[in-house]
Amino acid sequence: MIFPPGATARTDPATVSETVYDAVIVGGGIAGSIIADQLSRAGQRVLILEAGLAKDLTISGYEDYLTTFYGAVSKDNQAPYPVNPDVPMPRSADVRQITPGKPDTAGYLVQNGPYASDFTYTRVLAGTTMHWEAKVLRLLPEDFEMASRYGQGLDWPIGYDDLEPYYRDAEREIGVSADVDDQAYLGVQFPPGYVFPMRGLPLSYLDQMVAKGVDGTDVELDGEHVTLKVRPFPQGRNGIPNPAYDGGKGYTPVGAVSTHQVQMGGRCQGNNNCVPLCPVQAKYHAGKTLAKALGNGVELLAQAVAYKVHVDPGNGRVTHIEFRRYHDPSSAEYVTGTARGRLYVLASIAIENARLMLASGLNSTSGLMGRHLMDHAYLLNWALLPQIAGTGRGTNSTGGITDLRGGAFRRTLAGFAVDIHNDGWGWATGSPATDLLRIVDDQNKFGPALRRALVDQVSRQLLLAFMLDVPPTTGNRVSVDPGYRDQLGNMRPVITYSIPDYTMRGAAFARQLARRLFERLGAEDYTAYDPADYGYVSYEGQGYAIRGGNHLGGTHIMGTSPARSVVDATLRSWDHQNLYLASGGAMPTIGTANVTLTIAALCFKSAGHMIEQLRAEQAPAVLSGS
Amino acid sequence: MTSTVTDGGTPTSPGITSLDELHAYLYAAMQLEHATIPPYLTALYSLHSGTNSDAWHILRVIVVEEMLHLSLAANVLNATGGTPDLTRPGFVPAYPAYLPDGETDFEVDLQPLSLYAVQTVLKIERPGQAPSEEARLQPRARSDRTLLAASPTQPGMQFYSIGEFYREISRGIQYLHDEYARGGKELFTGDPSRQVTPEYFYSGGGEAIAVTDLGSALDALNFIAGQGEGLGGGIYDSEEELAHYYRFEQLQLGRYYVKGDQPYKPTGPSFDIDWTAVYPVLKNARLADYPEGSEVYQAALDFNHSYAEFLELLTRAFNGQPALLLDAVPRMMRFRDEICRLIRNPVPGRPGVHAAPTFELGGAK
Repeated sequence: MIFPPGATARTDPATVSETVYDAVIVGGGIAGSIIADQLSRAGQRVLILEAGLAKDLTISGYEDYLTTFYGAVSKDNQAPYPVNPDVPMPRSADVRQITPGKPDTAGYLVQNGPYASDFTYTRVLAGTTMHWEAKVLRLLPEDFEMASRYGQGLDWPIGYDDLEPYYRDAEREIGVSADVDDQAYLGVQFPPGYVFPMRGLPLSYLDQMVAKGVDGTDVELDGEHVTLKVRPFPQGRNGIPNPAYDGGKGYTPVGAVSTHQVQMGGRCQGNNNCVPLCPVQAKYHAGKTLAKALGNGVELLAQAVAYKVHVDPGNGRVTHIEFRRYHDPSSAEYVTGTARGRLYVLASIAIENARLMLASGLNSTSGLMGRHLMDHAYLLNWALLPQIAGTGRGTNSTGGITDLRGGAFRRTLAGFAVDIHNDGWGWATGSPATDLLRIVDDQNKFGPALRRALVDQVSRQLLLAFMLDVPPTTGNRVSVDPGYRDQLGNMRPVITYSIPDYTMRGAAFARQLARRLFERLGAEDYTAYDPADYGYVSYEGQGYAIRGGNHLGGTHIMGTSPARSVVDATLRSWDHQNLYLASGGAMPTIGTANVTLTIAALCFKSAGHMIEQLRAEQAPAVLSGS
Repeated sequence: MTSTVTDGGTPTSPGITSLDELHAYLYAAMQLEHATIPPYLTALYSLHSGTNSDAWHILRVIVVEEMLHLSLAANVLNATGGTPDLTRPGFVPAYPAYLPDGETDFEVDLQPLSLYAVQTVLKIERPGQAPSEEARLQPRARSDRTLLAASPTQPGMQFYSIGEFYREISRGIQYLHDEYARGGKELFTGDPSRQVTPEYFYSGGGEAIAVTDLGSALDALNFIAGQGEGLGGGIYDSEEELAHYYRFEQLQLGRYYVKGDQPYKPTGPSFDIDWTAVYPVLKNARLADYPEGSEVYQAALDFNHSYAEFLELLTRAFNGQPALLLDAVPRMMRFRDEICRLIRNPVPGRPGVHAAPTFELGGAK
């Protein structure tokens, strides 16, 4: 994919201040890029305000990220990215257990607790797709109807069938590799004849070994019997194009992005450090869509951090977005700028969208801005398999168990999907670095014996990560406090969060199921949750270490009325008729699917409404009179 | 490796008149396309790790494109009922090998990347049309060395250029197709399941063309030949891929081409090449250059064995199991480690000279 040379420097603050755009979009991640691409194709003039530094995307720029990652001691999701105090990011390494009544302010997020959340999102050009897992499950039909079906959480104002066509748009944009036969379960349906753009990626050797023990396991839940099976996940990484795609037209995978022609990333190579960064860009990142958008003439102003959304107090319409433009990440100096458009789109991640609205004093009529914050709760279980199982080969998660994502049991406890982690115990224990230290320091091994011990111990590791549904609750929220600001003066997100009992019931069940699966596999359970762990949660006398999944949703939920939701089903703000909030924040539930595919689908749907609105409101003069 | 296929003029040489002759030519074409891969791999891995990202990517893509050309030549051979065999003794030339360049031949070496090496490679990619029909096929300048694009059917004769070599094949296919048609026979009798299709080939500067008839056969040959300088002299080919010649020339000029550029005048982003961040690799290394029993000797032996297995795998892939090309990719990735094991180590007793793979597969002429 060619990135138009010079596109990141085409626009300057002077031009921006003199222009009324058709649309001003805050954030150059997947949501902003999709919307910018769609609007610009429809002939609209679009500006993206990007908080991060933004040079033209090139192979060598991407390789700088990789080199930083390879050289970093901590291989966390943010390891590839330079520290930018003007646009700070949450890092999992910042998270500490919270002393009750005393917010933890050490990291970017101000953590009120009681649960210390390790949400991370990436504030660089292309956003969190620069570290995502690229697991792209659709939501189940029942995820849209949790309240009416199960009396839990909320109903969406739209159903699976409404979103289905847009899921297909998203699958094309991201470039999804999957087979329909594997993905049609628990009510998920595809139109007749549909195939994914690319064929499913194969299960890893580890998946296949685990399947031997898992497949056929009978689970009884709420009176229903479910038979478990290891199933491949749909992946946002390039596989073999399906010649039957698009009525036989096929699909051309989109590889690496650069300002000149490169040929790389046409296929996933199974790199184990594909999270955070695929070395060859076979994994989708929003730069692939952004390159198209900029090719259509979309303008982008980088180093421009949105500071405040200004509205007309009379009619509620947004009049402009005030941003702070810094010149040097190490300096707190900035110049204030304004961006004007006929329409505005906040396309940052859920927490940032709500943070900006709250910092602008826009709590919404419902008062729900920032509330219903959700992220999947992960319960990790780890064990040693009796035989070498190829751990360490393949991308992080190629297969897992999805049979308990849905079912009548969700009346009482959280549904979940289970990832088999090809990177072994890394997430739970810091393996393989910690294994190396242990084998050298405690077992005094070196040379061939060390090599053998590493193979014997690491390639038998099994980590089952249970990704649990977290229902929306008004108490879990983002707020702001003028007392907490970043270097540029932007208010930081204050997070108040606890893991609902509904989820913990699911966790308790998950723990028991993991033990049972380990037993069937003849695996030795090494799972241990340390009460000193920052994510430690006690439930019914047992303790569990809960991790975040960075699948953020629910800070500006969509609904059918301004009294009980922040945006409508088109993602348009109830209060501000020329403002769309396009992020996972609009999702009233997150079910057990990673959120990005659904966000992308919502953006495609919303972009259509935006175009309609822009066409209906042709003349800017109408704005002040309306 | 390639050059422009031109047409016009009436053939005066007898040309290709039988299916056996056509198959001999297509085998020679596969040999020719493959013969550039060892030099490019040697140049690619002669770069110090983590340096020269731009040069690294340019070289890497060119290797993948040569693999595509090789696969397309196999597709044409398969389509006409031939049997690709990359394991035949002599398939891999002894280096230095030679290529025709008008009146003279030029040398193709296994050597580290240098400005000089780039200039040589540009000759490989340069088109060459013979000044006259008579000059297309000429007596070989020297018969004592490995010449690629020699006539496989007329001993002692060679083509004026690679372009003329491919032109001969295209003419031959056209001729045979017409002859067969006159006799009520079909030239393209190959089993379509033996074709390498886009499912099995990617990131290679274009799509694999399945060859099933005269049109697709000429398309495939034009693509191989045309990717050299681009059809009609444009810097981009029909699939909007930058032509080989210009892709390579970027190394010489230190600047990328972008859409709309004129030949020799790229206007894209510039880049630097650190010509010193290259291992001083022994040119055209042979096993005999390494002390027997030394680690580099063993590593070179192991690599040659591994490379022979790779050619066997490709042969199976081109003989009805195209899905095996998917296995060929990780196999090629392993070459990196195997080649670096040689290139990053000095030859014992020769300070300042590093080892290299020798690509001696036995049976080489």
